[in-house]
Amino acid sequence: MRSLLAFAALLLFAGTAAAQHQHAKPGAAGPEAFTATPAFGPDGTLWLVRAMADKIVVVRSTDLGKTFSEPVAVTPEPMNLDWGPDARARIVVDPEGGVVVTFAIFQDRNFNGRAFFSRSNDNGASFSRPRPITTDSTSQRFETAAVDPATGRVFAAWLDKRNVARARAAGKPYPGAALAYAWEDGEAGFGPTSIALDNTCECCRLGVAFAGAGKPAVVFRNIFPGSVRDHGVVTFKDEKTPGPVRRVSADDWKIEACPHHGPSIAILPDGSYHVAWFTDGSARKGLFYARADNGDTPFGAPRALSTPRRQPARPYLLANGTALHLVWKEFDGTKSTVRWQVSRDSGRSWSDPRTVADTADASDHPLLVANAGRAYLSWLTKADGYRLIPLEDQP
Amino acid sequence: MKFRPFLLALLLAVASVGAQAADLQSFGRGSWSKLRAAHDGQPTVVHFWGLTCAPCLVEMPEWGKLQAQRPDMRLVMVAADPVPQDPARVNDMLARANLAKAENWAFTDRFNERLRYEIDPEWAGELPRTMLIDRDGKETVLTGVADLAEVRAWLDTQKKR
Repeated sequence: MRSLLAFAALLLFAGTAAAQHQHAKPGAAGPEAFTATPAFGPDGTLWLVRAMADKIVVVRSTDLGKTFSEPVAVTPEPMNLDWGPDARARIVVDPEGGVVVTFAIFQDRNFNGRAFFSRSNDNGASFSRPRPITTDSTSQRFETAAVDPATGRVFAAWLDKRNVARARAAGKPYPGAALAYAWEDGEAGFGPTSIALDNTCECCRLGVAFAGAGKPAVVFRNIFPGSVRDHGVVTFKDEKTPGPVRRVSADDWKIEACPHHGPSIAILPDGSYHVAWFTDGSARKGLFYARADNGDTPFGAPRALSTPRRQPARPYLLANGTALHLVWKEFDGTKSTVRWQVSRDSGRSWSDPRTVADTADASDHPLLVANAGRAYLSWLTKADGYRLIPLEDQP
Repeated sequence: MKFRPFLLALLLAVASVGAQAADLQSFGRGSWSKLRAAHDGQPTVVHFWGLTCAPCLVEMPEWGKLQAQRPDMRLVMVAADPVPQDPARVNDMLARANLAKAENWAFTDRFNERLRYEIDPEWAGELPRTMLIDRDGKETVLTGVADLAEVRAWLDTQKKR
């Protein structure tokens, strides 16, 4: 049996290699990750983690992105990085200046992932050998780290498939994945993994904000009854107790697939929640924003951002003091543009959308980051490289 | 031992992959207008799929069967993964679905927004997606996994015209 299987595997390999050799007309090689994710340290250093082909590197800038240090490798050897369109290596800096990087690899051809973390306590001069974020090896993707601003503790959430494997072994169906989380336990690594919720959508990024000490709020694409993949928010009551799912919007997007298009969340000092998301539901299609007064009240009516003909996508929200910034990507027929709006009254009214950057080739998702009271757009593009663009200076 | 027939089938399927490798064309900026021009005046079914789209992979063999049943169908398959995929793997999937002989294209430009805009400005990238184009160039879009009975009925209508 074993030898026959091995033979089959050999043939499969040979067949694939032959096909590649004879018919590799399209110029593209294998898929590659192309992301840059920023974080500011307590001393105002801009940290950037880049996923490039088969490695993760970190660079830092002390002049707001004008110049960068030599890259420091996080991955000691080549790894099969998760190149999914909504996956990204992430970086957070704790209050002591410790740097934590998270990223995922593909374990196999079925997109089963393995999430890793690595830490630097020497100001980014070196990174610890990446270790899995959890002991279960089934599959983790879309890992997202965030520092609790009140305690400095690093929280991580991801989409985990351990319960899929369990259900399958028991002959039961299990749509989607589970929302899993863990807290960093000292500097040794992450503590035990818990499952906050079963049956979420399996391949969209998560958004995390904090509602208070030990109270992360996670926004994600959920699977509501009838395979409806709309968004929900779970706010933790304390570090170990995830609260119920609060639906952001009833878009009624019934789809037996995953759109690779996750949401974003921000919480203002007044306790108000703000979420932006993409949907192609029967109730509404396109990019939307909604707010809720606090962690308990229902979300208000969704507001459409742009029109579907401009392919609005990849929204990102940032609370910077009492200012709320929102960016997203659009396509105008020639260029991708990043559109920006700011609200100074808790998301009730917004500035007119304004283009703050554009590019005529492929680009990463637009991200927002703040330092010393100022908000910046962080955007990696193929044609123009990495840019950190101050938003407040825009006329 | 009872798995032997399965293994044999697997071996045969695997062995046939190389022989049936699709003649994959690179889909980049401007490809859509070329594709449309090449089929101008002919009823054509364009099916967009992706290696990273699980429901697509389940649906693909059904398209392979339909193509075998309906030689009157001009079928164009476009692998529209947002991150361009290894062409060998695209070919492999096409061969397994018996679609190696269809007209096959694969996105090779990472500027996915641009490619989608050229095809349909309102297409947000969801897969699978099927476009039925009649001889007058009128497009009917089926989103998600296609109802092949609907496709058959459409093909019948095209014959009658």
